[in-house]
Amino acid sequence: MNAYLRTEELSKRFGATVALERFSIAIERGEILALLGPSGSGKTTTLRLLAGFETPDAGRIWLDGEDITGLPPARRRSGMVFQHYALFPHLDVGENVAFGLGGSGKEEGGSMAQRVRGALELVQLAGFERRKVQELSGGQQQRVALARALAPEPRVLLLDEPLSNLDPALRERTRRELRHVIKRVGITSVLVTHEQEEAFDLGDRVAVLRDGRLEQLGTADELYERPRTLFVATFVGRANVLRGGIARALGGKPGDVVVVRPERLRFAAQGLAGVVRERRYTGAAAFYSVEAHGDGAAAPVAQSTLRIEVQASPDAAAIGDTVHLQASGVLAFPDDRGTPAA
Amino acid sequence: MNRRAELIGWVLAASLAWIVAYPILIVVRDATHASTITAFVRRPSEWQVLWASIWISLASVALAAAVGVPLAFLFTRVAFPGSRMLGALIALPAVLPPLVGVIAFLFLYGESGFVARGMQALLGLDHSPWHLQGAGAILLVHAYSMYVYFYLLTRAGLARIDGSMIEAAQALGASRWTTLRRVTLPLLRPALAGAALLTFMTALGSFSAPYVFGGGFRVMPTQIVASKLNGDIPRAMVETVALALVALVALGLLRRSEGEDVLVALGKGTAPPPRVLVGSRGLVTTAAWLLAVFLLLPHLTLLLISLVPYATWTTETLPPVLTLDNYRRLFAESDRLEPLVNSLWMAAVATAGALVIALLAGWLTVRRRVRPRRLIEHFVALPWALPGTVFALALATAFSVSRPLALRWVLVGTAAILPLAYFVRSLPLAGRAVLAGYRQLDPALEEAAAILGAGRWRVLWRVTVPLLRPSLAAGASLAFVTALGDFVTSIVLYTYNTRPISIEILSSLRLNELGIAAAFGVLLMVVSGAALLVGSGGHVRS
Repeated sequence: MNAYLRTEELSKRFGATVALERFSIAIERGEILALLGPSGSGKTTTLRLLAGFETPDAGRIWLDGEDITGLPPARRRSGMVFQHYALFPHLDVGENVAFGLGGSGKEEGGSMAQRVRGALELVQLAGFERRKVQELSGGQQQRVALARALAPEPRVLLLDEPLSNLDPALRERTRRELRHVIKRVGITSVLVTHEQEEAFDLGDRVAVLRDGRLEQLGTADELYERPRTLFVATFVGRANVLRGGIARALGGKPGDVVVVRPERLRFAAQGLAGVVRERRYTGAAAFYSVEAHGDGAAAPVAQSTLRIEVQASPDAAAIGDTVHLQASGVLAFPDDRGTPAA
Repeated sequence: MNRRAELIGWVLAASLAWIVAYPILIVVRDATHASTITAFVRRPSEWQVLWASIWISLASVALAAAVGVPLAFLFTRVAFPGSRMLGALIALPAVLPPLVGVIAFLFLYGESGFVARGMQALLGLDHSPWHLQGAGAILLVHAYSMYVYFYLLTRAGLARIDGSMIEAAQALGASRWTTLRRVTLPLLRPALAGAALLTFMTALGSFSAPYVFGGGFRVMPTQIVASKLNGDIPRAMVETVALALVALVALGLLRRSEGEDVLVALGKGTAPPPRVLVGSRGLVTTAAWLLAVFLLLPHLTLLLISLVPYATWTTETLPPVLTLDNYRRLFAESDRLEPLVNSLWMAAVATAGALVIALLAGWLTVRRRVRPRRLIEHFVALPWALPGTVFALALATAFSVSRPLALRWVLVGTAAILPLAYFVRSLPLAGRAVLAGYRQLDPALEEAAAILGAGRWRVLWRVTVPLLRPSLAAGASLAFVTALGDFVTSIVLYTYNTRPISIEILSSLRLNELGIAAAFGVLLMVVSGAALLVGSGGHVRS
């Protein structure tokens, strides 16, 4: 394996809690890897281990062929964008960006000032050098944080939920700009997020973590279309999780848990019967909440109030309609709960 | 790196134990002899003094609350011309050295003070109409200087109360009185309990007022010093332990009554704006100004007395001559200048030491979370919990013998003992400010600096210290002012060559050089005020 950044069976405990368990991953040069998982899954711990803020209990970290496991953060030549940006409030924008260049940021002209300017140009904030960081908007602060991290030309860029502090309207645009800047610089990056959309949009590949373990690593398509575990299937994208009779009615084998995405269900002349209880209109499509009842199924339905989410055209059904559902692209997993097939 | 932090943590904890706890333990050990304890218990005068300390402190709390709480409501809830400036001004007495307040009081209300002279002239008496001495005089001075704790903490508490809660109560039909009783006061409970604790502890440890005004009336701190100066060391030890026990019990009881802070945490909104008076505006404004002048009058008196040259004011109601002669003598006569220089350098050294230790303690307890962190925090806070007399006695006892194996050296009589004592007394003030600052400092800022390539010292100087500057400045100024104005530890530990300003004030008073004493007092006041102004970043706390 000749990956640029590689972790080798990293483990970390905090007291009795296992934060990370034998976590191995390899990231290619110039690749953006997104670490996706719920809180407590170990993604932030991974990032802090990569940054050097924590030392692993076991395992190694390799960067460009060098073992950096024991190296303090200051000597790793990494850049980091913090969740709340961590801009130094007592320094202005220019001084913040110059911090990693070893300068004070006050130099006029000269190579230092040029590098500061270059970094700010990258995030379209040239000319903001003497602004106070508190005067900037959230989006501008985020960009200064990115410029500051990139200015010393680090080997790796680490991003800790870089968009979580922005309001939703701004988030999508900033996400595109962020990816654009990172790709232009060509820097190897690791991003932590708990939002699937963010991970899919920003990451070349996505690593899904759960309870300190790597659940699956792959491209967005792979994770969505071919999830390896039930957890990945439900954590990534919207999913109906079905068991028992209903699962079999939609094509599952006995003993399987079946996961069906809302857009893979359609109303048909026959199939699993149910009644439309809610309709949520989103413009291009509508989401229907269908209460499935046992009619048409091979056996009585175990979960009496099971609702199934269906995505269909806005005029496909109305509330109160009795409908029949058919599924394509059903994902089946062995039932870890061991629900007896009814 | 973690292991090194742990090691430093244990070293710091051990050093603090040596300087803060060890002397106290030596006193406790020396005091626990059956004979001395029996003698203490059997002497009725000891119980009288102990009881006097307790009731004086309780009465001080009641009086300070009676003055401070209404003032806080007045200045928070009512706006009138000058209310902001006055609101800040009347907070001043708390930050001035107690001894300064006490002598200012003496000059104003003492038997040869302005008021007494005025009354004497007015009523045609041939002697002073009163004799300012005893418990009443002490209480008066306490109420006069300690109302500020209630005033400041109540104002802070009122500022935190969500205005919508008051509105909600009124919308539910509660009268003003009911709102105050059922909503405002319960929400203020933590602030009031905190103020009560602060006042009680200050009053219990108060030395200057009982020393100057007590006369035959003794409280424990003056009794301890008297025993010590009389050479009855065993007795002083037992008395010290008794006072320390009262302080610790009081601290425990009052801490419990402080209760949970949830009540206030719930309300996160903004305080209602002050009411702008329309009808009674002139009346309230006049009353408030008069009140403020009344509260600040002692300090103005001090200024006036400092301008009276020696032996020019005898029986006149007002001093006939006013010059800057006293100030000139202060700087021209090397004997007078010495205490000034002493106080300044000793306070500066103590403050610097307290700041360094506070910063180290903050890093170890908040950032590195080393194992002995609770220990470190307790040791840093301990000197606050015990009256100054207790520490003075403890240091005098621990460091008056040379037993290197027991980690005891002779420091009493050297130039080191007073800075050391000041350092111990300043530690909780600097520590509290710096630890609070550290807790509010986002660790990501230091991490950001580190990952940008800054080494530990660069992170400290470029990020941590600049960001902690408000806390450091606040802690430093409080520590400096405390050390500069210290009287109670100085009187036990000073030598002629290291005598500080407070001791010089006292000897000037004894020689009846009132002008010189007042000039020293004014200097203390000015330097303290300037230090606090710098410490608060140029804003007077309001």
